[in-house]
Amino acid sequence: MRLKEGKDNCTYIVESIDMELNLERRLEALGLTPGSRITILNNDKKGAITVRFRGTRFALGKRIADHIMVGEDVA
Amino acid sequence: MNQDIIKVGFIGNPNCGKTTLFNAYTGANLKVANWPGVTVEKKEGRTVYKGQEFLLIDLPGIYSLTSYTMEEKVSRECIISEDVDVIVDVVDASCLERNLYLTLQLIELGKPVVLALNMMDIVEERGMEIDLHRLPEMLGIPAIPVSARKKTGLEILMHAVAHHKEYAKQGPFIHHHSENTRHQHNHHTEYAMVYDDCIEDKIDILISQFDKKYPDMKNKRWHAIKFLEQDETVMRQYPLEMKALAEHNYEKEIINEKYDFIEEVIEEVLVNKSRKEECTDKIDRYMTGKWIGLPIFLTVMALVFFLTFTVGDWLKGYFEIGLEFVTERVSSILRLLGTNPMLESLIVDGIISGVGGILTFLPNIFILFLALAFLEDSGYMARVAFVMDDIMGRLGLSGRAFLPMLLGFGCSVPAIMASRALEHRKDRLKTILVTPFMSCSARLPIYVLFSSMFFGKYAMLACYSMYLLGIVIAILTAYILSRIDGSRAEQSLLIELPEYKAPNARTIAIYVWEKIKDYLTKAGTVIFLASIVMWILLNFGPQGYVTDITQSFGSLIGKAAVPIFAPLGLGYWQIVVALISGIAAKEVVVSSCSVLFGIQNITTAQGMESFVATLGAMGFGAANAYALMVFCLLYVPCTATIATINREVGSKKLTVQILLFQLAVAWSVSFIVYHIGKLFLL
Repeated sequence: MRLKEGKDNCTYIVESIDMELNLERRLEALGLTPGSRITILNNDKKGAITVRFRGTRFALGKRIADHIMVGEDVA
Repeated sequence: MNQDIIKVGFIGNPNCGKTTLFNAYTGANLKVANWPGVTVEKKEGRTVYKGQEFLLIDLPGIYSLTSYTMEEKVSRECIISEDVDVIVDVVDASCLERNLYLTLQLIELGKPVVLALNMMDIVEERGMEIDLHRLPEMLGIPAIPVSARKKTGLEILMHAVAHHKEYAKQGPFIHHHSENTRHQHNHHTEYAMVYDDCIEDKIDILISQFDKKYPDMKNKRWHAIKFLEQDETVMRQYPLEMKALAEHNYEKEIINEKYDFIEEVIEEVLVNKSRKEECTDKIDRYMTGKWIGLPIFLTVMALVFFLTFTVGDWLKGYFEIGLEFVTERVSSILRLLGTNPMLESLIVDGIISGVGGILTFLPNIFILFLALAFLEDSGYMARVAFVMDDIMGRLGLSGRAFLPMLLGFGCSVPAIMASRALEHRKDRLKTILVTPFMSCSARLPIYVLFSSMFFGKYAMLACYSMYLLGIVIAILTAYILSRIDGSRAEQSLLIELPEYKAPNARTIAIYVWEKIKDYLTKAGTVIFLASIVMWILLNFGPQGYVTDITQSFGSLIGKAAVPIFAPLGLGYWQIVVALISGIAAKEVVVSSCSVLFGIQNITTAQGMESFVATLGAMGFGAANAYALMVFCLLYVPCTATIATINREVGSKKLTVQILLFQLAVAWSVSFIVYHIGKLFLL
């Protein structure tokens, strides 16, 4: 599912990121790679969301949140 | 001793305090700013420690050593080249997990790396501790705690740099890796960052290939890793016929394994981490809440606004008294000295009133930036971007653009300076373009004068409508521009939300001082020149020095420009000159009117009456007055703002284009308002 569809305080595993190369690389350099964990902190609004990955909080715009595919964290 | 100079490259993530640390050594006046990649050009400085000379190179703030952005390329090439003997990796110790990623990449480059653990004071404030013994053991490089702000640890850092230069080889490493590697080499004794066997095997194959084909290549391990990441630069520079290896891009695996290792490091090195994080999450539940986030932000901004204008204006009053005192003193001294009246007029009417008038705004600016520094240093500012992102997104602006626009109500100069916080140049330009439409406090005297002369009991309403009109024009402009460049649905905000912390007095002082210094020096020099130019225009004519303003160049220019302003109902040369003089500073329009129409005490009831009578005799009525107010709201901002725009956009051509656009908007809106107004008001 899309990251944007995730619930607050839930942790997901990133499956894929599908965006223009530049943005994708930037996210990867920040540690948001397929297989990494991402926790949604706040997905209450229609647009941007706040998340935590690799120990740092980030605000992500809606478009980014829509283009990151995630799966349930089984662990 | 010059041949023994040690060349040190300073590198680190954006916002890690790298430039501050660099400045602490060199004392050079480098700009410390806030958006990633502020130091795009290379900056150098020198320092001496125990007779050893160091050449320091300030590299751009980056998150990683890939070669996708200019900053990354610049840094990487500089470090690989002979220009750098030792790398100082400046790390924000309060955000170790994120910062160590770059550190691991730097270590892989094979040059001596010294870790400078900056912001240790913040780590302590947050009740965290870093095991300074274990960290070097795991990374194989020295880690020196420093504070760029308090200037502590600076000498030890240089000592470590001088020492570590000799040891190009890293280690020894003490890890507690439990996994049984079947790999032929025990890399764990050689390298800090060891990948899983599958990747290590491929690295080995590549290294043996490099050995054959490029025997002179330095640090083959790094090149092999970069080859596996399919790094364009490396693959172009050292092509290999390795189809099987080149097919798959191992970049993601390599990034993941680095972060896995970092997690391991953090686990062993960082004590007490989780406690404060929970605290930040609790605060964020309100600050970024769906319903309450926006009201909180508006309240905070209202408070900032309120402080700026109440306390600021209160202090400004004293500045004005001081200025009057200085003016009187200077003119009496000049008279005593028997200076010629022309020089006296230049100094008193030109320079002191021009430059001094701007200096009286200093209290407002000071308070405004004090409040902003407080918000920024506490970590709240990044949340504002999140809260405002959706609303601003609809206008085609980033969430961060909201702040400069709001500040525009105070003064356009700090507002435009605040647009620096925006990451993308396109966003920044758009914000700079619309910010002057937000009615700044200097324009208020114009509204007050003309609305109380022509609108009687509706004066307040007329004033208020100016503010509304400014907002509407700004929003419309942003919206239309975004429609044109198609960035409407951008919504790709990506911003780190740092943990909340108690603001540090020293950081705030440095931040505010930087801004004030900027304001005083840059804006001051321009205003100084503008004041002189304005004075010359109003006091010199074809016959030379004139005391009668109607004979001046200013009036000639005004008369020549009358046809342009006639369609707006402003075709009176005095009004035109007043408007031109308003470019020096907007309040000047009022004082110019009083000089140009020869009316003293223009703000008193009598003054206004005779002014209305004079204007009325010229056919200048309520519609004209309203058109004048609109024009003042929208036309070219004051010289200080123009100078700021020029500095921020960094191009004279672009600045002129922005000014022409604003003039065009002012002309058209005033034209429309004047003609509609004539239907109703006459």
